[in-house]
Amino acid sequence: MKTHPAEKGTGTFIRQRVTGIINIVFVGFLIWLVVTLAGATRAEMAATFANPVVAVLALVLIGAALVHMRIGMYEIIEDYIHEPRTHSLAKTANTVFTILIGAIALVSVLALAFGG
Amino acid sequence: MAELILDKRSRPKPGKTWPRPEGATNLREYRVYRYDPDTQENPRIDTYFVDLDDCGPMILDGLLWIKNNIDPTLTLRRSCREGICGSCAMNIDGANTLACTKGMDEVSKGPIKVYPLPHMPVVKDLVPDLSTFYEQHKSVEPWLQTKSPTPETEWRQSREDRAKLDGLYECILCACCSTSCPSYWWNGEKYLGPAVLLQAYRWLIDSRDEATSERLDTLEDPFKLYRCHTIMNCAKVCPKGLNPAKAIAEIKKMMVERKVA
Repeated sequence: MKTHPAEKGTGTFIRQRVTGIINIVFVGFLIWLVVTLAGATRAEMAATFANPVVAVLALVLIGAALVHMRIGMYEIIEDYIHEPRTHSLAKTANTVFTILIGAIALVSVLALAFGG
Repeated sequence: MAELILDKRSRPKPGKTWPRPEGATNLREYRVYRYDPDTQENPRIDTYFVDLDDCGPMILDGLLWIKNNIDPTLTLRRSCREGICGSCAMNIDGANTLACTKGMDEVSKGPIKVYPLPHMPVVKDLVPDLSTFYEQHKSVEPWLQTKSPTPETEWRQSREDRAKLDGLYECILCACCSTSCPSYWWNGEKYLGPAVLLQAYRWLIDSRDEATSERLDTLEDPFKLYRCHTIMNCAKVCPKGLNPAKAIAEIKKMMVERKVA
């Protein structure tokens, strides 16, 4: 991949579009997962996530959705919040929130997949 | 935060209602934004009545009739009167357009409301300050740039390549599109806006131009190009029927192709 100086906008634009496509493609998987696990016990959920395909797909979906969410919120912050300190604070909060949710989701999926 | 409402000093107040012309029976009401920077007063909305039996059919005709017959202090830009110069761009009946090509009969019943182009500093009355807009246009270097030796005659172009400029070269830089764009409202100093990006694409796609890479480098920025969120107000209001949003999408495509190539 060729690089150019100051590639700031296009990289984000590509990530936004790629994660958007992944999210659309994975909507079917998400619906299947929710319907399958509706009313399920913890043991049944663990059995579903013990399947590596389900666990990996769930992690990919969570990752793509979080990256997409972070970019979307970043765009809103860039558009509307102009006061430098609030701007910086909002961007930091956006990143921290994304990492926090990602960590919780990662631990949850792995706990179900390996711990039962 | 972005300024979502006008500050108190900029909010228009009810203005003067000028007398109806004597003896006229076929009248159309105009409500026009007035602002005089030499006074300390807020902008106001003045009401005028135009004698349609003594006036042309377009909105601009009505404004000039007001200026000539009622209130010579009314200030507006106009030149060609036929949709070529872009001088008389203003906000009419809630949408940006050219006063010279918009007919009074296109505005539904009731008063014709005329404001300057939105979200721009106002010089006076219907005249916005377009300095930043013109600076942004200048920043994309809107002229042919070549590296090859200059030919003895003209720079040749095939009919197919020339056709790629259709829908782009017609832009008259009236600023209707840029000033209708919410992204340009909030970040007008950093986002180039639809008109300037359409102009940028006009040179990017010109087969004779040899500065494509440099032009794309100039636009590679989170704000200059990527503040476009495909809201499409630009295409909706363009009085020339152009589609700046499509030109912006084409620039983004060129950016991605260059990056992944």
